[in-house]
Amino acid sequence: MAERSFRKEVEALKLGDGETFRGEGILAVTKALLQSGVAYVGGYQGAPVSHLLDVLVDAEDIMAELGVHLETCANEASAAAMLGASINYPLRGAVTWKSIVGTNVAADALSNLSSPGVIGGALIIIGEDYGEGASVIQERSYAYAMKSSIWLLDPRPDLPTIVRMVEKGFELSESSHAPVMLELRVRACHVTGSFTAKDNRASAASGLNRIETPARFDYAKLAHPPLTFAQEKLKVDERLPAAQAFAREHKLNEFFDGDLKDLGIVVLGGLTNTVLRALERLGLADNFGNTRIPIYCLNLAYPLIPDELKAFCVGKTDVLIVEEGFPDYIEQSVNTELRRADIQTRIHGKGALPKAGEYTAEVMLRGLANFVRDAKPAGLDAATIVAKADALTGHKGAAAAAVGDLPPRPPNFCTGCPERPVFAALKLTQRDIGATHISADIGCHSFATFAPFSMGNSILGYGMSLASAAAVAPNMQRRPISIMGDGGFWHNGLITGVASNLFNKNDGVLIVMQNGYTSATGQQYMPSSVASRQGSAPGMDVESTLRSFGVKWLRTVRTYSVATMVKTLKEAMRTAETGLKVIIADGECQLARQRRVRAEDAVKLKVGERVVRVKFGVDDEICTGDHSCIRLSGCPSLTVKPSPDPLRSDPVASVIESCVGCGLCGEVAHAAVLCPSFYRAELVQNPTWWDRALHRVRRVVISWLAPREVAA
Amino acid sequence: MSDARPVTLLIAALGGEGGGVLTDWIVTAAESLGLPVQSTSIPGVAQRTGATTYYVEIFPVPYADLGGKRPVLSLAPGIGDVDMVVASELMEAGRAIANGFVTRDRTLLVSSTSRVYLTVEKMAMGDGRYDPERLAKAVEQSAKDHLLFDMEAAAKQSGAIVSAVMLGAIAGSGRLPVPVEAFEAAIRHDGKAVESNLSGFRAGLSAARDQLPAALRRSGKRPAKPTLANLEAEAAATPEAARAFVTEGVRRLAAYQDLPYARLYLDRLKPIAEADARSGMNGKLLSETARHLAVRMSFEDVIRVAEAKIAPARFCRIESEIAAKDQPYVITEFLKPGIEELCQVLPPRLARAILRVAEKRGWLGTVYFGMELKTTTVWGYLRFWTLAKLKRFRPKSFRFQEEQAVIVGWLALVSHSSRLSGELALEVAECARLIKGYGDTWKRGMANYRALEGRVISPALAGRIPLRVGIDAIASARTAALVDPDGESLTRALAAIEQQVAMPLAAE
Repeated sequence: MAERSFRKEVEALKLGDGETFRGEGILAVTKALLQSGVAYVGGYQGAPVSHLLDVLVDAEDIMAELGVHLETCANEASAAAMLGASINYPLRGAVTWKSIVGTNVAADALSNLSSPGVIGGALIIIGEDYGEGASVIQERSYAYAMKSSIWLLDPRPDLPTIVRMVEKGFELSESSHAPVMLELRVRACHVTGSFTAKDNRASAASGLNRIETPARFDYAKLAHPPLTFAQEKLKVDERLPAAQAFAREHKLNEFFDGDLKDLGIVVLGGLTNTVLRALERLGLADNFGNTRIPIYCLNLAYPLIPDELKAFCVGKTDVLIVEEGFPDYIEQSVNTELRRADIQTRIHGKGALPKAGEYTAEVMLRGLANFVRDAKPAGLDAATIVAKADALTGHKGAAAAAVGDLPPRPPNFCTGCPERPVFAALKLTQRDIGATHISADIGCHSFATFAPFSMGNSILGYGMSLASAAAVAPNMQRRPISIMGDGGFWHNGLITGVASNLFNKNDGVLIVMQNGYTSATGQQYMPSSVASRQGSAPGMDVESTLRSFGVKWLRTVRTYSVATMVKTLKEAMRTAETGLKVIIADGECQLARQRRVRAEDAVKLKVGERVVRVKFGVDDEICTGDHSCIRLSGCPSLTVKPSPDPLRSDPVASVIESCVGCGLCGEVAHAAVLCPSFYRAELVQNPTWWDRALHRVRRVVISWLAPREVAA
Repeated sequence: MSDARPVTLLIAALGGEGGGVLTDWIVTAAESLGLPVQSTSIPGVAQRTGATTYYVEIFPVPYADLGGKRPVLSLAPGIGDVDMVVASELMEAGRAIANGFVTRDRTLLVSSTSRVYLTVEKMAMGDGRYDPERLAKAVEQSAKDHLLFDMEAAAKQSGAIVSAVMLGAIAGSGRLPVPVEAFEAAIRHDGKAVESNLSGFRAGLSAARDQLPAALRRSGKRPAKPTLANLEAEAAATPEAARAFVTEGVRRLAAYQDLPYARLYLDRLKPIAEADARSGMNGKLLSETARHLAVRMSFEDVIRVAEAKIAPARFCRIESEIAAKDQPYVITEFLKPGIEELCQVLPPRLARAILRVAEKRGWLGTVYFGMELKTTTVWGYLRFWTLAKLKRFRPKSFRFQEEQAVIVGWLALVSHSSRLSGELALEVAECARLIKGYGDTWKRGMANYRALEGRVISPALAGRIPLRVGIDAIASARTAALVDPDGESLTRALAAIEQQVAMPLAAE
């Protein structure tokens, strides 16, 4: 079960014609998929569309009634390849992943899918992880759409529009025989709103009504030469015009008219609300989307529709292109189209707006003011607009100065995380053997790149750590250490890293964090989880897989055993044995564990069973406020508080209530030879008579010995 | 009607605090009134205790009165476009201010005064905490209205999550077009932990309505118990500026060892008091030296640790911490003494002999005796009890004699430097704070102190470093010593000082 349950919310997926759906963007997308009659769905989790997959999993029963097949894929490549079903069969399918990274992983299958094209609607819902809250490289998925002739929808972030674009996306795909991407930015995935629902539709052919005869052999369905040459022409000559015609006919793009006819704004659908709000604040629009500057809103981001564009621009002196990120693909295309048509409208874009970075409200206010200032339109006092923008944004400098230079608050390992002790061990190991090159990876363990560990020399992608150390190792005196999660191991690392390393008989040290879930994305199950969405364990295992691949030096260490981990790491670093040395750092994701254990303990407490609650603590008069323990932990539950000592000013360490008693504090105090301040308190709830008797006897004896006065 | 604008609310929180639940309550409440409402968030990995925000817009006119029109709501907070900011933590309120979301013309800022420290604040070797006064002042300066109160304490008192308190504060502020009852209904509608959430809600509500002043923080200091000796009278006779520290020092050392030891403390302070008066420091030199001297003289040896571990007050404290109501509990202590720690309590000669052998055999820093002892069992308690009983012999122990030598040396430096300048003496006195802790920490601190003494203090006293430069150099080297445990900053700082001092000589 994933971190967040949508069991309650998925009930909304059953709504029928005319009923009002209320909920989050991704839930609306799921509803739209069911209304579109999909036959199969799949994907790989990653913010901001992790929850889309969680919703699909929680809605599996509802989907089963409609015969929809659900696949939680091993990675984005397998999700993209699923769409192959729509090449030969009239099956609608949708897959989802985080972009840009997921699209990179899926790229091979996407190219091979889009070349022959599809007959069943193929939709890819991508979470465009760009701007605030993003966790990946800042690149545009737009490039993939262009290079592979995949159409890209970028709907206005308004639930009815998003739902309509999902539905129209399938039709667009089928009418032009091309796959379609629908991109949702981070906030659009989580935006709440409402729309009027329709009945769900079952696919004509599906698990409930299976296809009798396989497709006939048709060489044209293969992305294989010599057909690939013909397919390239098909994309340009037939599919592109078909898509443009469909978009025109079904009015996928929207026009907002305005009285300042000399001006115009061409904006990507997803950025429309930001533009409209900025216009409203500058006195150029109201709160209902009535704008003075005409707007051409591209819900279909790729391809452009030259006729619509030309009709919008002709007669205008100045048009602003609002597209986030780099390169300015749309601005370039608009310039080309207008040049071809000999339309002399000036195009503003990157320049008025910044070349890179998110278009926040502040950026947009300034960008629009720059545009008006440069365009100098008749009927509008540009200086007033510029002054307004200045007035709305000018206070920031003084505000920031008043607060001072606030250090950022990056995410951190959770309280009790099993991965933190591994980095404590690594830090202690480095203290003895010297610094090592650390090849980091994607996953919760990448939080070790932040304080207090600040470890990791490179991150090359999900499951790529070992592969990215391949050329480091032979050039270094000391072995580099690669770190990979079990999520990354199954996603990519097993083949890209382990197989490649063994195949080349390379040396190296690999730590596999075995926590049992893809934890960073919300604890979804993966091949070596103890359970699956169907219940039973999938049955795959990291250790036996590595053995079968031929790894000889293999140790499994419980992550919380810091001293053992240090010893094992030193051994891996020092052994004369060449070849790959793998340490499986074993410890269940604490978030998942706590969710389970808390529920179990609550039941036990209720029925009167014995429960031991463990919590760590610090003796504040023994702590001298050096914080060595924090430098080896960084646990959110291990913090500081003012020293109770009237003579000391440095704050002392303190364990707060959220402590789950994972034991790391004690292990680190031992392994690192820290101070004697730490203690572990175990409270017995619902004690047995023996617990009580023992406790009573001990207290009596101790009270005879107890000093009369409190020590200093 | 067309003049109506969306009311905007920015929630600044940390991942895992229930900001999502809070947002849902607000959306449910607004929806129940038929108001156009929209919320957005940026979960992702920010949920793992990182800074995150939630954003809500509510259009104050119900759909029913809009004639089919739909307002366009923004997905992200805009600079200068936020009516209310609610922060669960003071630094996150500061972050909202720094991002330009809090303005004097419209923003009500409600923030908790509590802090969840950043790792970089916590891991500093001394005090790395961000200045809370500065944050509170920025709140007062930047917002139109503000309300600061300890939401963490309010949540704890009411047994609720902090987001319930935040909802109460939002409801009580009256800034959203949603009445209090609608928010309450949203909590009930949600159906989870209704009673505790309602109690948290009411705590936030009354805080917002009563305009509570920021909760007074108890100092949390635990002074030592008074002694019955006339030493106290002597302490009380010291200059006003130093009196509190000297009194505390006397009490502490009397408890740490005995009355003669406290007497020694007062005697040691006499020359400092004279130096203070001579150099016109108005008690500042005496006060700081008195503070550090008491800490240095009550150094943390195994005897002191053992005593602290079996103090009856400690058991009471832990009982209340783990909320043990008559239930049995076990306390396990983590100790890992090395040979040096064991030698601390031996007579100097014996200790030195053992240490010589240990050093020869390479046992120092490698051989440790890891123990997990239970102070709640009779046998475990007895071991600490026995150790604590060694107190009597402490003055004859190796560690005691070593520490006294260092202390005497340090005091001599303070006295000596006071002849050059009171400020210099104060800087030298402050260097005592470098020596603290146990094991490696103590060793590192002592090594840093020695480095400072040898490379900055002594040259300054010998006149090889000009006075002004010397004062600054000691302060900057001391700060550098507390920056990183690997000593990189200190090495750089000392090199820079030596270069600075060498240059004018080279130029001559």
